[in-house]
Amino acid sequence: MGRKMIRMAAVAACTMFLFAGFALAADIKVGHLADLTGPTSSVGNPYAKGVQDYKEYVNAHGGINGKKIDMQMFDYAYDKNKAINQYKAYVEEKVVAVQGWGTGDTEALTGFLAADKIPYLSASYSAHLTDPAKAPYNFFIAADYSTQLRAGLKYIKDGWKEKRAPKIVFIYPNHPYGIAPIRGGKEYAKELGFEILGDEDVGLKAIEANSQMLSVKNKNADFAWIGGTTPSAAVIIKDAKKLGLKTKFLVNIWGNDEDLIKIGGAAADGVLGLQAAAVYGDDVPGMKLIKEVTKNEHQNTHYIRGWVSMMVLCEALKIADKKGQLNGPGVKDALETFKDFDTGGLTSKITYTPTDHRPNMSAKIYEYQKGKLVYKTTIELPRKAEWLGL
Amino acid sequence: MHYCGDFRTTYRKDMEIFQTPFIKVCMAVFLVFLLVLPVLKLKGEYLLKGAYLWILLQILIASIGAVGINILTGYTGQISLGQGAFLGVGAYTSAYITAKLGLSFWVGIPAAGLVTAMAGMVFGIPSLRLKGLYLAIATLASQFILEWIFLRWESVTGGSYGITIPRPSIAGYTFSTDRSYYYIVLAVAIVMILFAANLMRTRTGRAFMAVRDHYISAEIMGINLFKYRLLSFGISSFYAGVAGALFGHSLKYVSSEQFNIGVSIVYLAMIIIGGLGSIIGSIFGAVFMILLPKLLSVVTEAVAADYANIAKLAISFEHGIFGLIIILFLIFEPDGLAHRWKMVKAYWKLYPFSY
Repeated sequence: MGRKMIRMAAVAACTMFLFAGFALAADIKVGHLADLTGPTSSVGNPYAKGVQDYKEYVNAHGGINGKKIDMQMFDYAYDKNKAINQYKAYVEEKVVAVQGWGTGDTEALTGFLAADKIPYLSASYSAHLTDPAKAPYNFFIAADYSTQLRAGLKYIKDGWKEKRAPKIVFIYPNHPYGIAPIRGGKEYAKELGFEILGDEDVGLKAIEANSQMLSVKNKNADFAWIGGTTPSAAVIIKDAKKLGLKTKFLVNIWGNDEDLIKIGGAAADGVLGLQAAAVYGDDVPGMKLIKEVTKNEHQNTHYIRGWVSMMVLCEALKIADKKGQLNGPGVKDALETFKDFDTGGLTSKITYTPTDHRPNMSAKIYEYQKGKLVYKTTIELPRKAEWLGL
Repeated sequence: MHYCGDFRTTYRKDMEIFQTPFIKVCMAVFLVFLLVLPVLKLKGEYLLKGAYLWILLQILIASIGAVGINILTGYTGQISLGQGAFLGVGAYTSAYITAKLGLSFWVGIPAAGLVTAMAGMVFGIPSLRLKGLYLAIATLASQFILEWIFLRWESVTGGSYGITIPRPSIAGYTFSTDRSYYYIVLAVAIVMILFAANLMRTRTGRAFMAVRDHYISAEIMGINLFKYRLLSFGISSFYAGVAGALFGHSLKYVSSEQFNIGVSIVYLAMIIIGGLGSIIGSIFGAVFMILLPKLLSVVTEAVAADYANIAKLAISFEHGIFGLIIILFLIFEPDGLAHRWKMVKAYWKLYPFSY
C-alpha cells in the first residue's frame, strides 16, 4: 500500500514536472539589454524599469494570448562587448525579439540583427535606423533625433514674432549620438529661414562650458540647440545663466528630464525640452495604468518610453502569435502592420510600414517653469520621403 | 624528448622557431585542436556556440593586433597609444572597399593593412625626435585625430551612421556564420603570427631590438634609426589594419564608437600582461584580456542570480576586480605571462632534478 502511494506520488510528480515543462516551453523568450550600472545608468534604470513593469503587468493579466513572456534583464553596463556576448547567447536561446538600449549596443548589433532576423527595439533614436533598406530589424517608438530637432525648430519659428531672421547656434558633443541629427536639422533650419551662427562642442562629460557660452553670447544667438545628456545640458544652462545669456535653449530628448531641475536649479527656467512621451502625471488615458502599477510614485520621463516600447512589442507579439508566427520575421511583419497604434496618449500614434520604420513625425514640446515640466504643444511634421534615414 | 642541456651543432639549428621534435608535435596538436574546436559536438550540439564562439573569434583577431603593437612597443621600444585608431583605419578601409566600392573582401584585407601601414608611418614620423612619454603623447594625438576623421569624413566613413559591411564570400559561398568566418580569421592569424616570429630572426628584427636596447649604439653599428623606426611603425600598423578589418567584418558594421582610446589601452595592457618583446606573450595577453572580463561576468552573474540584492554591487565591482587583478599581475609577474610560461616549461624540462 505504502509502495503504491509512493509510486502514485512519483507519477503525479512526473506529470506535474512534464506539465511545468510544457508551460515553460510555451513561454515567449525575449531578450532585454539594459544599462543599470554603466555610464548611462541614470537614464537607463528608469527606462529598463518601464520595460520590465509593463511585462510584469501583461504576464499578470493573461500574458500574450495566454502565453507568458520570459524576459530576463541583462545589465551590460554600456559595454558593447558584453552586449554582443549576451546577444549571441540570446540568439542561441532563440529569442523572438530584443529590447535594447543606447547608441553603443544598437550600433554594435545592427550588423547582426538583419542576418539573424531578430527585431530590436532600441532607445537609440538615430534616424538611420528608420530606413528598412539599411536596418530592416531595428525599431523604436519615438520620432528619430533629426525629426525631433526639426519639430523643435518649427516650434521656435512659429513663435518668432520679429521681422529679422532668428539666430541659432548648435551645441553638441563630438560623438555619433550628438552629430547624428545636425545635418538634417541645419538643412531644415535654413529652409525655415534661420540664421545659423555655427557650432559649439560640449562633451558629454564636460564639467564647465564657459568658453563655449562666451562664444554664444558674443554671437548674440537668439536660440541654441543642446544635443547631449542631462548632465551636460545642465552644465550648459548653468554657465549660460552665470554669463547672463539671453539665449533660449532647446534641449533634445536625452538632455532634459526631471534631473535637469535637480542639477540645473533655477537655470532650467524657460528651457524648452523635446519629449516623445507624456510626463508622469499628465492627463492622458494611458497614464492611469502607469499610476496604478507604480502606486502613484513619480517616475522619470524615460520610464514612460520604456513602458511604451514594451507595449508596442507586446502588441506585435499578440499579432504574430495569432498568425502562428512567433519568431523574429513574424514579429517584424507584425510590427510593420502597425497603423496609428494608440498608446493611450502616452506617445503620438505609432505606424510602421515595410519601407518606413519612422514611428511618427511628431515631438512634444515642454517648457521648464519653476521646477516643473509644463506641456506646450505637440508639433506634427509631414512624413516626407526624403527625410527617411536622415 | 628533450635532452638535459642544449646540444646544438649548427647556427641554423639554434635559429629554428620550433626547436625540438616534441614542440613540433605539440604545435601540430594545437593546430588540429584549433581547427576542430568550433565543430566539436557534444550530444548533437556544438560544444562552442553563441558567445563562446564569438569570444574565440575575438581572441584570434586581438592576437593579430597585439602581435602588431608588440613589434612596435615590445621589440622596437616605441610606445604607441594609437593602436585603437589604427584598427579603425583598417576597418574603415576594408569597409569602404567592400561596401562602397563593391570590391571583394580579399582585396579589402590587404588594402586595409597597406593603408593603415601608410597612416602608421605618417604618425610615426615624430618618433625620430621623440622618445618614451613624449612619443606616447604624440601617438595619443594620432588616436584623437583619427577618431575625429572617422566621425567627420562622412563621404568615406559614413560619419555618425557608420557603414554596414558584408562578410567575405568565395565563389558563391558566404562566410556568414561565426563558425565559418572563424576559419578565415584563423588562417590569417596563423600566417601573420608566423611571419612576425620569423621577422624577429632576420636582420630587420635584430635591428628593431638594437634600436630598443640602445639607440645610440644601434646608430653607431650602422642601423638607420629613422628607417627602422618608421618600418616598425609601418609593420605594426599593417597588423593593426588587418586585425581591424577582420573585426569590422566580424561585426558586419563599422562605426567610430568601436575604436576609441579605451581600445588602445586594452591593447597596450595585452602586451604588458602577456610580455613585452614576445610573440607568444602577445597571444597570451590577448587571451587573458578578452577572457577575464567574461569569466568575471560569469562569476558576478552567478552571484547576482543567488543574491539578487547585491547583484548591482557585484556587477559594479567587476571593473574594480578587473583592475585589481591586473595590478596584482604586474606586481607578481612583471615580465608577463610569457615569462611564467617559460618558467613552467623549464620546471618540467628539468623535473625532478631542478637546481
